[in-house]
Amino acid sequence: VQPPEKPLQPEEWNKLREDFQSPEVFEEVMLNSMIRCSSPIDVAKSLLTYLAKRNGDIAYNVLVKYLTLCVQHGQVSEIRDVYDIMKVRFKILESGAYNLLVKGLSNSDHWRMALTLLEEVKKIMVPSRACYESCIKAASRHQEMKLAFELYDEMLAKDVVPTLDALQSFFDFSRGMEDAELQKELFGILLYLRENQIYPHKTFMRSIKLWFESIPGGNWRGHLTNIKDSGQCPVCNHQLEDSNLTEEEYSNLSERIIRDVIHGSDTFRKTSPQEFEAFQTFVENRLPFDVVIDGLNVSHIKPKRMQCENLFDAVNCLAKEHARLLVLGRKHMLMNSPNWKREIMKEMQSKADFFFAENISEDDAFLLYATLRSGKHCKFVTRDFLRDHKACLPDSLTRHLFRKWQRGHQISKKKSFSFVFSKQPAFRYDCVVQTTGDTWHIPYKDVFEEKYSYRVPRKWLCIQQKL
Amino acid sequence: MQSANMLLRKIVRSSVLPFAAQHRMQKDLFLLSRTLSLSLCLKQDKSCEPSEKLDLDEWKKVMKSGLQEEVSETVSEPKEVSSLAAACETLEMWRLAGRAVPENISEEQLKTFMECPSKSAKKKYLKYLHLKELHKKNYKRKMDEKRERRLEAQDQASKTDETKKSPFVCMWSSTMDKAYNWRAAQSMIFGQPLVFDMSYEKEMSVREVTNTVRQIVLSESCNRRSVDPFHIHFCNFKDDSLYHREFIKQYREAWGKLLITVTDQCYTEIFPKDKLIYLTADSPKVMKTFDHDKIYIVGSMVDKSIKTGVSLARAKRLGLETAALPLEKYLLWSTGGKNLTLDQMMHILLTLKDTADWKKALEFVPKRKYCGVVSRPVKELKKTLDLVNTLKHGKGQEEVQKQFAKSYPKK
Repeated sequence: VQPPEKPLQPEEWNKLREDFQSPEVFEEVMLNSMIRCSSPIDVAKSLLTYLAKRNGDIAYNVLVKYLTLCVQHGQVSEIRDVYDIMKVRFKILESGAYNLLVKGLSNSDHWRMALTLLEEVKKIMVPSRACYESCIKAASRHQEMKLAFELYDEMLAKDVVPTLDALQSFFDFSRGMEDAELQKELFGILLYLRENQIYPHKTFMRSIKLWFESIPGGNWRGHLTNIKDSGQCPVCNHQLEDSNLTEEEYSNLSERIIRDVIHGSDTFRKTSPQEFEAFQTFVENRLPFDVVIDGLNVSHIKPKRMQCENLFDAVNCLAKEHARLLVLGRKHMLMNSPNWKREIMKEMQSKADFFFAENISEDDAFLLYATLRSGKHCKFVTRDFLRDHKACLPDSLTRHLFRKWQRGHQISKKKSFSFVFSKQPAFRYDCVVQTTGDTWHIPYKDVFEEKYSYRVPRKWLCIQQKL
Repeated sequence: MQSANMLLRKIVRSSVLPFAAQHRMQKDLFLLSRTLSLSLCLKQDKSCEPSEKLDLDEWKKVMKSGLQEEVSETVSEPKEVSSLAAACETLEMWRLAGRAVPENISEEQLKTFMECPSKSAKKKYLKYLHLKELHKKNYKRKMDEKRERRLEAQDQASKTDETKKSPFVCMWSSTMDKAYNWRAAQSMIFGQPLVFDMSYEKEMSVREVTNTVRQIVLSESCNRRSVDPFHIHFCNFKDDSLYHREFIKQYREAWGKLLITVTDQCYTEIFPKDKLIYLTADSPKVMKTFDHDKIYIVGSMVDKSIKTGVSLARAKRLGLETAALPLEKYLLWSTGGKNLTLDQMMHILLTLKDTADWKKALEFVPKRKYCGVVSRPVKELKKTLDLVNTLKHGKGQEEVQKQFAKSYPKK
């Protein structure tokens, strides 16, 4: 439906409504299309007038739609009027209307009203992150940083994930303020990014940079840069944190992998206790390995070649640099078949240790265990992202640890590899927001929404303090 | 005078006058019309007058004016509201806002709603209730219509007043039931056992258990009606478990009279291990034929979340043989999980038992899940299918031709 351009007479509305195929939903459809076309508010008003005359009342959903239009146009007085009407007409409102009201009012001089509305929302449910975002933005826009941080803390306490926009507004509006307390809070936000492995996007990064440079007497300077593969920052020559886990994190992670990934709710789902025990003794007797290879995964690299040849190339290539290899496979690889030639298998077994799991067992779980057990220097080779195993870990903290460890220890192939086995090295440095006190290194995303979560940004913001 | 009147009427009837009135072009004519007391026309005029300026905020007045009494009402009400009532009000507002929310909600449902851990869980639960309500309403409406039609038909029949005579005795459903029960009783003595493994309660949510029980009820009834029923065993069945309570809800007093064996023992305790075959979609082994001497086990589980390998793990732990249906072999699978519902499983097993015809048995696999039945092994077909696809997309013509030459050598 095309909404009219000018306010219409009740008769004209009536005619339109009668021409419409299903008159019961006419006003809803009409208002929806007005919202879509962002029609002038007067047109909607004339429709409401028609409805009020016709029915003596206006339904709640119609009012909400009208409110959406008002918020879209930023008509604050109108929003307030609608709110007054709603408040008298209905005892409480639902979340949709509250979201709209908070959003509409927070952009105006009546932004404090948005805060009282937020209090009202809290009585019936947990406010949405968009609600909090509007209030935080409004508060920081009016330089009420303390209030904004109170809201932010409250949000975190309620497990509502703050939007990047809300976080950005903190940096945008504290520019040039000399306040030690405030500085601490903002560093806290950067640490929040670090802990949750969130990467800011380009505009957010710019806000952070500008804020740092605006701190009076801080002498902070920011530069955009790319970090070398060695992990050194080309601007300040500072060495980034390496990707190794701490002792405690490491033992924690290996414990969780054994408990949640390998055993899970039932050891029989991925392996069997006998097999796992056999594997454990096998690994303990030959520790430590330098590289653990997922045999089946590697053998599928080039689909046109024989599977054991693929594996043979990989083993040969890795055997040159590393002493101790472990290849994980399944028992069917030992059967002489067109894809698995016995002679080649024999030759490989002289170069590396092999462990063959049952055909119905999951060899990935063994891969993780063997690598973790061998120690921090040990890497593993697979193209698998291991997402299903990561998903077995129940809490996000351990999942982050897993991701970090995976980034540092997984060797995978480049997409377009040449004829020989070429490998993409594991990251030597850790890709998170990090600080040494007088420097900050912040990785950022070039585009607003990064499509692949496994890809880590290669661009960095280096901030250093010159004393 | 009269001619003037006529003229005026003409003008009024034609659409000129409203236009004229709007633009106040013919004031004198207007005055004249008043003196002539053309009241009918005047009324029409009045309705057009506000077109000069439309009061856009009039709706606010209407909304506010109708409220004065209601305001006093709300004030008189006690301010203290329980969380239950508050939730009820929120629901009402959501319903007004046009969300999928049921019209009526029981206190128990309201409590379940409030216990939902997240917003999306709440939304899903409400939508479920809403749909349930809709289905119920539709069903009721249909029943009412049916009853009316029947009454009408009866009326007509009584008018004609004609008694039918049939050479056959009318078979009442109770008679049928007796026959079925006789068969089921026989199967309990001589029939091939079929085990439902009821040890999955911990893996399922309440709704999944409800669905499981409903599927088992369906399979039990189709087993009872078959020519040669299985002897159904519910193994690992704990008294007063969620399963038990759901069964009682479904069967009511019939639960005690069912011709099946219910036990808390495990199947390995009742039957020799080498005769048991656990049916699971995760099994690496594919069932070739239906063996009348074996005892098949079906896991009573509905998994709406992904839980691969749960029943396979159970079989592995007990060291049992496993098997999967040869779905890949006979069907060109398109979408959906390979795990079938329990009643589909029952239909398939019954058909296999009676006919040993895989194609006939696999007709009970939902049609949406496969795109065709095949006579040759699917692997062979896949080659030709790939060939057809590459030909269609025109990729690498030469290569395709080579492949074609390879697979269809010239004679």
